[in-house]
Amino acid sequence: MTIGQDLLRADRPDAERGGGPRGSGATRGPRRSRRGSGAAGGRAGLTPAALLVPSAAVLIVVVGYPLVTLLVMSFQEFGRAQAFGAPAPFVGFDNYVRVLTDSTFWTVLLRSLAFCAVNVAATMTLGTLIALLMQRLGRALRLLVSVGLLLAWAMPALTAVIVWGWMFDTQFGVINHLLTVLTGTDFANHSWLIDPLSFFLVATVIITWQSVPFVAFTVYAGLTQVPDEVLEAAQLDGAGPVARFRLIVFPYLKSIFLVVTVLQVIWDLRVFTQIFALQGIGGIREQTSTIGVYIYQTSLAGGEYGTGGAIAVLLVILMLAISLYYVRATLKEDES
Amino acid sequence: MKKLAFAAMGVAAALTLAGCSGGAASSGGGGGGDEAEIRVWLNGTDTPDEAREYLKTTFEDDHPGSTLTIEEQSWTGIVDKLTTSLSGSDSPDVVEVGNTQSAAFTSAGAFLDLSDHYEDLGGDDLLPGFVEAGTYDGTFYAAPYYSGARLVFYKKDLYAAAGLSVPTTLDEYVSHGVALAAANPGVSGIYFPGQDWYNALPFIWENGGEIATEEGGEWVGGFSSPESQAGLKQVQTVMTTASLAPKDGNETDPQVPYCAGTVAQLSAPSWVRWSILAPADADAPGCPDQEANLGVFALPGKDGGAAQVFAGGSNVAVAAKSANPELAVDALKIMLSDEYQTILGTAGLVPAKVSLAGTIGTDEAATAITEAATNAKLTPASPRWADVEAAGILQDFFVKVAQGGDVAALAEELDARIEEILNS
Repeated sequence: MTIGQDLLRADRPDAERGGGPRGSGATRGPRRSRRGSGAAGGRAGLTPAALLVPSAAVLIVVVGYPLVTLLVMSFQEFGRAQAFGAPAPFVGFDNYVRVLTDSTFWTVLLRSLAFCAVNVAATMTLGTLIALLMQRLGRALRLLVSVGLLLAWAMPALTAVIVWGWMFDTQFGVINHLLTVLTGTDFANHSWLIDPLSFFLVATVIITWQSVPFVAFTVYAGLTQVPDEVLEAAQLDGAGPVARFRLIVFPYLKSIFLVVTVLQVIWDLRVFTQIFALQGIGGIREQTSTIGVYIYQTSLAGGEYGTGGAIAVLLVILMLAISLYYVRATLKEDES
Repeated sequence: MKKLAFAAMGVAAALTLAGCSGGAASSGGGGGGDEAEIRVWLNGTDTPDEAREYLKTTFEDDHPGSTLTIEEQSWTGIVDKLTTSLSGSDSPDVVEVGNTQSAAFTSAGAFLDLSDHYEDLGGDDLLPGFVEAGTYDGTFYAAPYYSGARLVFYKKDLYAAAGLSVPTTLDEYVSHGVALAAANPGVSGIYFPGQDWYNALPFIWENGGEIATEEGGEWVGGFSSPESQAGLKQVQTVMTTASLAPKDGNETDPQVPYCAGTVAQLSAPSWVRWSILAPADADAPGCPDQEANLGVFALPGKDGGAAQVFAGGSNVAVAAKSANPELAVDALKIMLSDEYQTILGTAGLVPAKVSLAGTIGTDEAATAITEAATNAKLTPASPRWADVEAAGILQDFFVKVAQGGDVAALAEELDARIEEILNS
């Protein structure tokens, strides 16, 4: 499709050029009209720009200013005294060198990436399955599922962690109680958070539980766009449900899957609230910090804003790379 | 639509500003510009409701038109939160800060200089150790608020059943714990959650160890010293053989397992007594029916007498960025008044003034509090100490000790981290 479009675009100037030299008088008219339309295009270009001004202004104040401050801070020696007004000397790339040569940073980054991968995979799979389920449900049940999803989605992250924390509580948690009753083995006083793997299992449950609704709703909305007749035809040709999903539904929804996956990657990579709150309930901080929590610990708890700033800038660069991919994919989508 | 919305916002903002200036002008004409809202930050549930009520009504009676709002903060993460809010434009006026955390803020210039008010606030009657904690470079920034003593609470019936009497040495306390745990399956002989590093300190100190010492301007971590190691091994024994508390749990709400009947002995701040005895229908219910069964003593030392326990407590200060420093200082004076401090004393906290020590009472708990307070000890006096606490490395360390980790290797790691932070 893109190739066709490029050809079309390439054609236009050719046609114009082709028309130009032939008759000087006759081509004036169309040329002028072209120029006219060009001027209209200019006006049309101004209006969207003007409409963008308010949101751009808000973004510059709310996002741009802190980002610039962060960037400046990452090149300064900035501690607690500086936060209260002491002058902050510039130290060049010192903060970055300290971060990049610190093995803790790399451990935390790799841990975050692994955690993000698992969560995105779990969220996308579950979300898609639930969307497919909703498509097949009757009205009443679908409403019930939708309301359930909405409630999980609407729950503030901190509240969710506290409630899940109670369920997984070592001494009085319902999970330990149920497991003891159901399996017969003694789960009393089993700590779910003390082992890092088990800690991340709990974190994954909480985060997936809260992100599945967004994926499920988006994919469900997309599913309504898949033409029934194509699916029916495929069914008549003997395509099973898996083949239909793989060969028809997935290609139709490819752009939706792409956008949602990129968004999930960004959200899960910078996850903060759930991990931070869980660490307060149990577990060992050093073995369970993800990059967001690590930045917080370095900057706010440790009072080293400069070093924390450098880590944050590195994370921003990583996020920008992912976002650029997302923006490019969206632009391609717009073109086709 | 956006344009319209923005225009509307602009108009609304303009109107609001106009409204503000109008209000200020009229109040300036009538009441002398004294009207303001003072925000007081208190941490945790340590301050009893009666004291909060007294502070609010007294302040508002003294300053008609002004209001005082108490905003309760959580102890967890308080250093981070204070750093952000005290340096911002929306700073609270009066803040409570843990005594070991004061130095992080007094040294950074976050608090108002209170030297001129020293005499009004209580002068030499104030608890000396806490005045010291609130002073930096000879300037008095943060007043004492209260001191909390740590006590051991125990179940008298379990003691009687095991034929035990109140321990007189630290070793005996530990062996009691092990014996009680063995005799009562499902019950912690000594309830000791892994993150509770405050309660581990007496074991280190009583065995002659230190957290960290300053040698020639450099801080040296003390957890690997042979003395500290002896204490830490004792902590590990308690955590692994006498305690059923979560190995990675924290020390908040110990009344819950206590009232559930799974705790024989528990070392905790003195005010936990009121959490245990809270009415059964309270927001945080306790078990008042256990009152007669609740025994209390001061943690015994290695060679008898009271052990060196952690002198937990708080300082109060006025934020340097307070919009109404004079009113804030007035609120602070109420908090250090004899009436207010007496309320704290009757609630089991050691008042900020030496002369009010008698208000704690004379019952078993009061005697234990006074005894424990005589031998209390502080964390290293470094402005960076608060960063060690905030980094959570002490919690991590004791969680690993509770899991049965190698105490010597873990201590070396911890010392390195402590030195890194204190010497940076």
